This record gives sequence, C-alpha cells and structure tokens, in this order.
Amino acid sequence: MAAFTAHTSAATSLYSPAGTAILLRSRSRAYPTTTTIRVSCSKTVVIGVAADSGCGKSTFMRRLTSVLGGGAEPPRGGNPNSNTLVSDTATVICLDDYHSLDRAGRKAKGVTALDPRAHDFDLMYEQVRAIKEGRAVEKPVYNHVTGRLDPPELITPPEILVIKGLHSMYDERVRDLLDLSIYLDISNEVKFAWKVQRDMAERGHSLESIRASIEARKPDFDAYIEPQKQYADAVIEVLPTQLIPGPGDDEGKVLRVKLIMKEGVEHFAPVYLFDEGSTVNWIPCGRKLSCSYPGIRFAYGFGAYFGHEVSVVEMDGQFDKLDELIYVETHLSNLSTKFYGEVAQQMLKHADFPGSNNGTGLFQTIVGLKIRDLYEQIVARR
Amino acid sequence: MASTVASLSIPATTFAAADVLPRRKAASRVWFPVARRGGFSVRSTGPATPPDISDKLSESIKEAEATCADEKGTAECAAAWDNVEEISAAASHARDNLKENSDPLEKYCKDNPETDECRIYDN
Repeated sequence: MAAFTAHTSAATSLYSPAGTAILLRSRSRAYPTTTTIRVSCSKTVVIGVAADSGCGKSTFMRRLTSVLGGGAEPPRGGNPNSNTLVSDTATVICLDDYHSLDRAGRKAKGVTALDPRAHDFDLMYEQVRAIKEGRAVEKPVYNHVTGRLDPPELITPPEILVIKGLHSMYDERVRDLLDLSIYLDISNEVKFAWKVQRDMAERGHSLESIRASIEARKPDFDAYIEPQKQYADAVIEVLPTQLIPGPGDDEGKVLRVKLIMKEGVEHFAPVYLFDEGSTVNWIPCGRKLSCSYPGIRFAYGFGAYFGHEVSVVEMDGQFDKLDELIYVETHLSNLSTKFYGEVAQQMLKHADFPGSNNGTGLFQTIVGLKIRDLYEQIVARR
Repeated sequence: MASTVASLSIPATTFAAADVLPRRKAASRVWFPVARRGGFSVRSTGPATPPDISDKLSESIKEAEATCADEKGTAECAAAWDNVEEISAAASHARDNLKENSDPLEKYCKDNPETDECRIYDN
C-alpha cells in the first residue's frame, strides 16, 4: 500500500497553509523516489481595485476589510513602511510595490508614476498568479517615504487577495486573473475638493500648487488610467451634486454617486431598486420620511457603458439620520446582506469615516458585501 | 477623560452634520479657512505630519514650481508634480497613522465597538 504524506517542497514553492503538496512514495523502487504534486485545495480569490488614493488605509479598503471581517494591519515585524495590509481573511497589496523605477529613476527619465513604463507588469503578473495558485511570494516593497525600493517581504496566499493601485486592470494578463474588478472614478471637481481638504493644512501647499499638481498629472491619467474603466465589473463614479442649484456646493460636501455594475459577471448580481430592469427615479423624503436639506434622490436604470450592458444605481444627497439609511436599505434589492440592516450597521460602525453619510460610503459598503458574496459563492463551488 | 467624552459624542453629531471631514473636528486641531488666494501658503503645519515628510513635501513643491516655471507642459514638469502628489499622499497616510495610534481608547474601540467603554448613545 503506497504511503501518502503531506510534505512541503522547499525547492520551488514555499509552504502555504491554503495549499498542500502531496508527496508520493513509490514502493516499487529500491530507494524512495519523491514526486511532488501540488494540489491547491483552495485557490485565492483575487479582487482588483483601481483608485488614485495612494497606498495606505484608504476608506474603501477599511470598509472592505471590515465587511470581510477583521482589522487590516501592516504585516507584523516587517518593514514599517510596508504598503501591505493583512487581516484574517484578506490581504491588500499595493501595486506601487511593482514600480520598476524609483523616485529618482522617474525623475531622471521624466516619467510619472502613472506611466506604465514605471511599472514591472511581468513581475506583477507572475506574483499575482503565484499567489492565486497558492504559492507564497517575495514581493518587493516600495517605500513612499524614501522613494526607493526596499528589500522584499513575504506574502503568503490569503483567502482573498485585493490588489490596489492605479494599474490594477492595465495589464491584460493580470485582468484575466481577477475575479472581480472595481474602478473608483472621481470627477475632476470632486477630486480637487478632496485634495484641497487633504493638503491645505500642509506647509508649502497652496490652492495653486494643488491645482497645478492635478493638472500636470491629468494627461498621463487620461491616457493610461481612465481607459481601465471599460474593463471594470463595477465602477463607483463620484460627481458633484445636482440637488443644489446654481454655483452649488463647491466644497464637494454633497455628492452624487453612481454605482455602475456590469451585467453578466459571474457570481456578481447587480443591485437594483424595486423592479429589476426598469428605470426608477425615487425621492424617499416625503410623508413617511423627513429629510433635511438638500435631501436624497435615488435613480436606477440600465444602459450601455463602453459597449457593455450595465445597471446603474445612483444616489444624490446625504443621509443625516439612521432612519433614512434603514429606509433606503429596505428598498434596495440584491444587496447580498446576511441580515436585515447589515448595510446600515456597517455604515454606522464606521460613522467617522469620510463619506459615511452619502453615496460613497453606501456604495463602497455594498461593493464590500458583493465581494464577500462572490468569495462565498466561489468557495461553495469548490 | 474629557477627550473620551468628546469622542463619544462626536459620532452622534457626525452623522447629523453635512460633514465630509469628521476627523478635523477634534478640538486640538486649529483649522485655518481655505479661502486664501494669490499664491499664499497656509501657514499652519498639518499638526500631525511627521516633520521629515513635511520637509520633503515643501522641498518637492518648490522644486516642482521651479521646474515648471522654465518649461511648462513637459514631461519633467509632470514628473515633478507627480512627485509632489506622491509625497502628499504619503504625508496624509502618515497623519492618519499617527492619529490612529495616538489615542489608545480610540484604537481599542475601533476594533471592539460593542464593549461597554465604546458604546455610543444616540440621545
């Protein structure tokens, strides 16, 4: 009877808890021969997020890791400037780590970080594929403080891998590895308002410098980053509000947020309002619900987005009471929640995060729930 | 203790106010209004930004302004401003990290909002 034992093969792969390698010992020879067959019992689910907020705990990542169950922290004992976040179920890696040119190199060549020439897509593809197949990798680390590449860190395959950066969907091979892809599309006015809020307290920055910075990056952004929108399964588009007439709200506080979801994506059922496949315009404020200015307006519809069929849910305005949030949640369908009120609970849990009272928080939370649902469906299938 | 009480009351009001910047409500921050134009730099340092990043940021801004003064719209100009953006993002993340780790109660409550010390009452 042949003996089978689980064995870690040191040569080609590093031991990962998620996968196992089986060693076959053949009895027909005089000496033991070993043949290693790698069997992945669980392949990692890979999610791609394209966003321009740099590497670090962005609000979207915090909400996502919260939905997936657990705080995400940089790997313990590693580089303190690591861009990676690890939680119980998910690991978030920042694609800036795959820079082929460091800050000095980019300056010498006159290349922005948005330019694909500054990235090593081959290595990105190799490593994401390796993690997806259950092998641990030594991923380079890009130190944002010094602007140089630090020694690599070990990444063991998690249950869910999130790759976050500007070029998550740029390379075709990496795109094929993604189980779900999300693009955060911030319109220019909102981007300016947010960057002003972020940078104005900094010594050295002024409105002009912030504006100049956005404008200087715009050509590369439009050329390399924007086109990724067409490949995304879900796009969260943030626009200025339409509820305040005239010059409106130029501080970017009231936002109109659209969640554009591609139809026909495996394990991903688009959210809808009332009646799937119809067009709905809904103002929940009225007799049953009282809202303060400027109120809330929802829209749901379908259409085409870069040639794909999509469903679009849109929210304009702000929540200012818990009631409004629950009321809205009651009327949305296909949210992939596990219990009634889960969206509201998640939003309240992080009421101090930016966007907790408008569509950005709502749709980020919903996308997080969709990702959890996708992961559970994939796992159930195995 | 006072800061604990303040932080317990903040979430209730955050939800009510049309506020995209709840973090800036902390009483210890001095918030200068944004309405300055004409090449003025706001003089307050982001109080929590580590000084080395803050210095790097100011330097990179000066450098970018210098590079773009000569030749606007070139690749070098774009690269210089992109550099500024990268350092600004790093500064913002450093501030967030410092803020997160500054108050042990806040840190604990973030992970355990249901415990008695961290409960938030809405009335």
